[in-house]
Amino acid sequence: MAEASLLYLVDAATGEGVEGELRDAIEDAQIVDWQTKWQPALIAVLQELDRRGVPVAQWPQSWHWDWRKKTAAVQGLLAFRGFSVVAAGVTQGLAQVDLTKSAREASQAGKPLVYVDYLEVAPWNRPDLGQPVRLRGVGTALLSAAVALSEEEGFKGRIGLHSLPQADRFYRDRCGMTDLGPDATYQGLRYFEITPDQARAFLKDEE
Amino acid sequence: MKLERSKEWWLERARREGDVVIGAGLLARDPSPEARPVAAAEENRIAFGKFVNLMRRRRGYSMEQLAERADIDASELLVIEDDLHYVPGPRTVYKLAQTFEVSQQRLMQLAGLTAANDVGLRQEAVRFAARSESVQRLTPEESTALEAFVAVLSSQEPKRVK
Repeated sequence: MAEASLLYLVDAATGEGVEGELRDAIEDAQIVDWQTKWQPALIAVLQELDRRGVPVAQWPQSWHWDWRKKTAAVQGLLAFRGFSVVAAGVTQGLAQVDLTKSAREASQAGKPLVYVDYLEVAPWNRPDLGQPVRLRGVGTALLSAAVALSEEEGFKGRIGLHSLPQADRFYRDRCGMTDLGPDATYQGLRYFEITPDQARAFLKDEE
Repeated sequence: MKLERSKEWWLERARREGDVVIGAGLLARDPSPEARPVAAAEENRIAFGKFVNLMRRRRGYSMEQLAERADIDASELLVIEDDLHYVPGPRTVYKLAQTFEVSQQRLMQLAGLTAANDVGLRQEAVRFAARSESVQRLTPEESTALEAFVAVLSSQEPKRVK
């Protein structure tokens, strides 16, 4: 049974706080939301981009996956440790983590970390799709959960992840993560890590 | 696992997030329902269908006439020209290669019957498919593209990758 923590997100339209749950699992309900709500929302955006004649090269991200592959992979998330953010009765973000990887950053090399294998927010919370964002804070909450899990596991808050190109700036500038550069073994995505010091600053209890 | 923080803590971080995109891992990349990259084999198949179509028209054959000359089924010809995913039988490709007087081996590759490890042929196939349009009469550009491609298909020594 998943454990839930109370969290607050920001309604982008009003600036008000919105109550939600940070759950330490991905369950059937999240997969159903992904298939019945996320997928149609993203397809609608893609069709609109196509209709407006926007060249594929200018679409929000690199479009390598086909839907069948992605659907199968998302269904596979049920078998791994993950996190989900639920608000307004709908899944707002998902993350899957791997606890078997080691740190690469020079001062931490070889030490265990929580590797964020997958982190995605619902299409209506993405600012890169040309539509108003509904909720802010979903990605940060999932990242916070990964750092907290790392502390709980005795990994001192160390986490690692391969960033999507549009997210590089967020991890580097807003989260203070160490940018270890493009990873040729991972389709050139940049690899970032949080060290124990950075993790302490990231999860600092109150400002 | 519980993460207990105050409402202010969460809101402060959510506001700091601003309008940035957040995502990690290859699975988080968006799929493309319609603009899926065309696989090499598919590119060759497109070129194969166009090649048969243009060669038939250049020789002034109807589908029935070509089917009769090549001793193949007219309904299969129709599918070859119109269905990009159809893989014809070896005998059909052999007969078409004979009729059009091009390399059987290369036409087999183009049709997807043998491994397409010939980089030069693949590049030529893509170039050819991109230049040709399915219209009633061959345009001068189509004729040029077709002749160039026939020359490639007629050469016997494919360039191997490995």
